[in-house]
Amino acid sequence: MRYFLQKLSQLLIVVFAVTFTVSLALGAIPNAEERIIAAKGSGAINDEEKNKLLDSLNLREPTIVQYGYFVQDLVTLDWGTTFNGNQSISTSISDGLKISIRLMIYGQLIALLIAIPIALLAAYRNGGVFDRTSTTVSFGFISMPNYVLATVLGLLFTVRWQWFPAISTDIGFFASPWEHFKNFFLPTIVLALPLAATYMRLLRADLINTLQSDFITTARAKGVSTPRILFGHALRPSLFSLVTAAAVNVGALVGGSVVVETAFNLNGLGRRTVLGIFASEFRLVQITVVVLALVYVTINFLVDILYGFLDPRVRAGRLG
Amino acid sequence: MTDTTSVSLPHDDRPAPKKFRQRGRFTKWISVAWLIFIVFTAIGASWLPYVKHSCDQFANEDFCSTHLDTNPLLSERPPTWAFFSETTRPVVGDAPERAGFFGTDTNGFDIFSRTMFGARNSLLIGSMSIIFGILIGGTLGLIAGYVGKRVDKVIDTIMNIFLAFPALLLAIFIVGFFDSSTTSEAKSRSIVPIIIALVILSVPPIARLVRANTIVFAQREFVLAARSLGAKNARVIVREILPNVFPAMVTFAITGMAILIVAEGALAYLGLSVSAPTPTWGAMIFGGQAKLETAWWISIMPSIVLFLTVLAINLLGDALSEKFRIKEAIE
Repeated sequence: MRYFLQKLSQLLIVVFAVTFTVSLALGAIPNAEERIIAAKGSGAINDEEKNKLLDSLNLREPTIVQYGYFVQDLVTLDWGTTFNGNQSISTSISDGLKISIRLMIYGQLIALLIAIPIALLAAYRNGGVFDRTSTTVSFGFISMPNYVLATVLGLLFTVRWQWFPAISTDIGFFASPWEHFKNFFLPTIVLALPLAATYMRLLRADLINTLQSDFITTARAKGVSTPRILFGHALRPSLFSLVTAAAVNVGALVGGSVVVETAFNLNGLGRRTVLGIFASEFRLVQITVVVLALVYVTINFLVDILYGFLDPRVRAGRLG
Repeated sequence: MTDTTSVSLPHDDRPAPKKFRQRGRFTKWISVAWLIFIVFTAIGASWLPYVKHSCDQFANEDFCSTHLDTNPLLSERPPTWAFFSETTRPVVGDAPERAGFFGTDTNGFDIFSRTMFGARNSLLIGSMSIIFGILIGGTLGLIAGYVGKRVDKVIDTIMNIFLAFPALLLAIFIVGFFDSSTTSEAKSRSIVPIIIALVILSVPPIARLVRANTIVFAQREFVLAARSLGAKNARVIVREILPNVFPAMVTFAITGMAILIVAEGALAYLGLSVSAPTPTWGAMIFGGQAKLETAWWISIMPSIVLFLTVLAINLLGDALSEKFRIKEAIE
C-alpha cells in the first residue's frame, strides 16, 4: 500500500508539472499573438474577433490564472476549435487517436509475433547458425532509422512493384478488409520490424539465462518434449523484460510514431501535432501533448503497480 | 528434434565457435574503419578532391558549392554505375549523362559531396549533443546517486517529467518553440535549437544510468575508506566514483550518439532541422521523397550512408560494452 501511495504521489507530481509546463509554454513562445493571428487566416479578421480569440486563450492573465483556466478547460473537455476554425480540437484528437492506436496495436502484435518464435529458436540453439544470423539481422534493424526503412520499403513496394498505395488512407476494417490491409500493411511493417528486433534481443537474452537454470535440466531429465520445455517451462519466466518493454511502448508509440505517420501520410496524433506546430495551432498542440503525456504516464504507472502486485521484490525497492 | 544436447546445461558453457569470434573482431574493425572514414571526410569536406567533381561537371565555377540554394541545372542524374535507371525525363541544360558515385539531386548538386557535407552537420549535432548530455546528465546522476534522499527525489522527479513526453514530440516542441518567425515567413534555423532539443532528450536516460551506477559504487569499501581519510564529497565523487562510472557512461554515450544522429534525421525528415541550404542526412533523405519514383538515388544514397554509420557506431558500442563487462567480471 505504501508502494502504491508513493507511486501515486509521483504520478500526481508529474501530471501537475506536465500540465503546468505545457500551459506556460504558450506564453513563453516568442511573438505568440502574431503567430496565432497569422494561423487564424489571412486578412479577414477585425480587432474585435482578434481580441475575442486572444481573450479565449487568457494570454494576458497572470500565469497562475492561465494555468487555472487551462486545467479547467482540460477537465471539462472544453477544448475549443483550432485557430483557423475548421475543426473542433476534440474531434481532431479522437480521429488522430483512432489511427495512432490502431497502428500501435498492429505494430505491437506483428512485432511480438515475429520476435517470440525467433527468440525461442535462437535461444534454443544458442550460438548456432540461426542464432547468429537472427542476431545480426536484428542488429541491422535496430540500427536502421524508421524513416530509412520507410523510404526503402516505399521504393520497393509502392514504386517498383506497386503492391501497396504510397499514401495510406484511413479505411476502416469493416468498410473493406482488403483495402484496410493494403493501406495499413506498410506502416505496420515499418513500425514493427525495429520493435521486433528489440523484443527479440531482450527475450533471447532472458531465455538463454532461463534455459540454464536447474528446473529446465530437471524437465529435460524427466523427458519433457522440447516444444513443451520451450513454451511451457522456459517462456513464461523469461517474459519479464519483454513485457516491460512492450508495455512502455504502448504509451510511447501512440505519440512516437510521428515519422511513420508522416512517411505514409496517415493523420495520426503525432502527425497532427507536427502539422499543428507548423501551422502555429498552439492550442491543438498543447492539448495533444498533454493528452499523450497523460496516456504515457498513466500506462507506466499501471505497469509499475502491476509489477509491485506481481513481484514483492519490486515493492520493497530491491529490483529495478 | 531428436538432438537434445543443444540446450545449454548449467555447467557446460562452451566458448563461442572460433569462426564467430573472429568474425566479430572483423566487423568491429570494419566499423572502426568506416567511422574513421566518415569523420575524416566530414572534417575535410571542403578540401577533399571529390567536391571538385561537381566543379568539373559545371563549366561555371559558381556552381561548385554543394550547398547553394540557386538552381544551376534543373536536372537529376543517376549515379555512374546505375545503368538500369531511365534517363528519359526532360533535362534542362546538357544532355543527360550519368554523374558521380551517387548521382545528382534535383538542383544538379552532386549527392556524394552533399552527403559528406551532411556528415559534417549530422556528426557535429550528434557529438555536441551527447557531450553536453553527458556533462549535464552525468553531473545530475552523480549528485543524485551520491547525495541521495531528498536531492535524489527532486532530480528523479524532474527527469520523470521530461520522460513523460514522447521523446520525438518533445524535441519537435522545443525546436518549434525556438522558431520566432510567423508561419508566412521563410524559416531559417541554426544548429543551436536542435542541439538544445537533443541534449534535453539525452539528459534523463544518462542521469538515470549514472545514478544507478553511482549508488552501487557509493556503498563500496574504497569510498568508505576515502571518506574516513577525510576526503571531501567533491573529491570522493570525482576521484573515487567517477572513474568507476566512466566506462558505463562512455558505452552509453556511443550508443546514445547513434540514437541522437537518428533523432536529428527524424527531425529533419519532419522538416524541423537546420534550414534548407545546409545539408544534413535526414534533410537529404526527406528532400528526395517526392522524387522517389524517378530519382530513387536522391533519398537512398544518404540513407545508406546514415544506416552504415549508425550500424558502425552501434557495433562499436556493443563491442565496448562487452569489453567492459568482461573487465568488470574479472575484477
